[in-house]
Amino acid sequence: MSGDLIDGLRDLNVLVVQPHDGSTEELLKQIGRIGCNATAVWPFPQSIPDGTDMIFMEITHPLDANAVRLLGVESVDAPTVVGIIAYENPSVLKGIIDLKIDTVLAKPIRPFGVLSHMLMARSVCLARRRDEEELQKLRRKIQAIQKIADAKFILMRHHSINETEAYKIIRSQAMAKRTSTLEIAQSVINAESILSGMAPHDLTARMQSQTDED
Amino acid sequence: MTTEEDGWKVGVLFAHEGVTRLIERSQYRGVLLAINEINEAGGVLGRKLKPVIHDPRSITSEYGRLAQKLILEDRVNVIFGCYTSSARKEVLPIVERHNALFFYSTLYEGFEYSPNVLYGGAIPNQNSVPLARYLLNNYGPRFYFIGSDYIYPRESNRVMRNILREGGGEVVGERYLPLVTDASAIANVLEDVREIQPDVIFSTMVGQGSIDLHRCFAEAGFDSKTMPIGSLTTNEAEIAVMGPEVSAGHIVSAPYFQSVESAANRGFLDRYEKIYGSYQDVTSCAEAAYTQVHLFAQALQTTQKLSTDMLREAILGSVYDAPQGLVRIDPDNGHAYLQSRIAMVNEKGHFRIKCESIRPIKPDPYLVHPQFNDWSLKMREPRTSS
Repeated sequence: MSGDLIDGLRDLNVLVVQPHDGSTEELLKQIGRIGCNATAVWPFPQSIPDGTDMIFMEITHPLDANAVRLLGVESVDAPTVVGIIAYENPSVLKGIIDLKIDTVLAKPIRPFGVLSHMLMARSVCLARRRDEEELQKLRRKIQAIQKIADAKFILMRHHSINETEAYKIIRSQAMAKRTSTLEIAQSVINAESILSGMAPHDLTARMQSQTDED
Repeated sequence: MTTEEDGWKVGVLFAHEGVTRLIERSQYRGVLLAINEINEAGGVLGRKLKPVIHDPRSITSEYGRLAQKLILEDRVNVIFGCYTSSARKEVLPIVERHNALFFYSTLYEGFEYSPNVLYGGAIPNQNSVPLARYLLNNYGPRFYFIGSDYIYPRESNRVMRNILREGGGEVVGERYLPLVTDASAIANVLEDVREIQPDVIFSTMVGQGSIDLHRCFAEAGFDSKTMPIGSLTTNEAEIAVMGPEVSAGHIVSAPYFQSVESAANRGFLDRYEKIYGSYQDVTSCAEAAYTQVHLFAQALQTTQKLSTDMLREAILGSVYDAPQGLVRIDPDNGHAYLQSRIAMVNEKGHFRIKCESIRPIKPDPYLVHPQFNDWSLKMREPRTSS
């Protein structure tokens, strides 16, 4: 895993968002030496160019509106971001958090340290991405389990059967219709809500209980 | 930075005592030979180069202390020196803090760049891949690593392991010994070698340790024809001490060997012999140190003053017709385009070049995985061999 991370540092597409001066030039060169493709832009662009793997950006005060719009949101495919800071005051520190910065390089930038900061940022970003994906998977799974449970209870109530029998019905329906148990469960819930839809009071109560569970 | 009217002062920082004294003395001599040549030809802009010399005695912390002394007390801002990576790491923060220019003439493990350093030795993409390929093709896939216990051997072995994995080789043993070690510790490792029977020993032992390893190898009755010691660091100075019966048959990869056939090399060796009585101890590190002084003098000719920033600009991209062939400083990273050569020690105790790169190889200091099949590393028979 760590080996893959280190190997993966070469050939990244890196965007450097900094006013163009001598220190930006030095940073671009060091990123080039490491073996990545670096381009510089200033100010923060309207949209992040396709294929950008990593962004080095100066944390300005106030924060750039485009940066906040593009980086300040939860997103699974957000690029890795290395913040460059010239100050350590609370507004800059808040910027680090608001922009979901993965690691910070302090000015003046020395070539030594850029590589390990890139690695750290990459490692933090990939770990977060993995966690986010895992979380979504678990969320979907819990929702599915909840739905199947709901459907089972509907069937149990209608047919006065026990839980195992209710599940058997859902499963055999799924097999017969070549679909998933989740989909059958959803159909059962839909049918139930349509059938009981004639009683508006009931439906609102059910929807209420569902939001509570979420 | 002001200069004294009578000359251009440059700092020289090589050990005359301690474990790495042999190799560092050869680097020291390379530097002084070049300074001598430049001064004999009238100096730079009519002024002579004046070396300010300190002896760090192979003690790591001394390199840092003396670099500081050179800069603060001797008022020098150009330093030639150091052999081990640990010594370089002592000098590095000091030259960065004072914006001095440091010429490092030793092969090392890469993964470094400082605007204050010019790297004159080979890095793994220039010497490890050719060596691995040669040993795999000629001796077999089973490698045993023996190294001195510091940063260069460990990193160098990591690189070698990756190259071997790609080329279908394997590492069947890996042992590290202290920088200062004794024959019994080496004999102990060689017992393990006897049991495991590798095809090749890849040694990153340096200095006295390397000499002892080769001696113990011979004493233990191993045959270099069937199981040679391959190395990036073994050099002419060490081989001269070992003698032909100990060193014959072993393999080394380096940008330069004494046996390079060129006018520049013949002139270099002649002048070296004239000053030091013999060129027996000339090594690739000595050649690199010598070349760096000439690159520096060329730059000084154009800058006309010892300004670090101006010198750096003048040196980056510059070319010198060195004993090894044309050497160019890569403006991207301050390392050098170097030749890559593989040589075997012959029965007279001299390196005989087996193959060499077609053109100088671009340095790539941040390459994590050098490619076993890198086409730019194509080798050919040496141009003229005796």
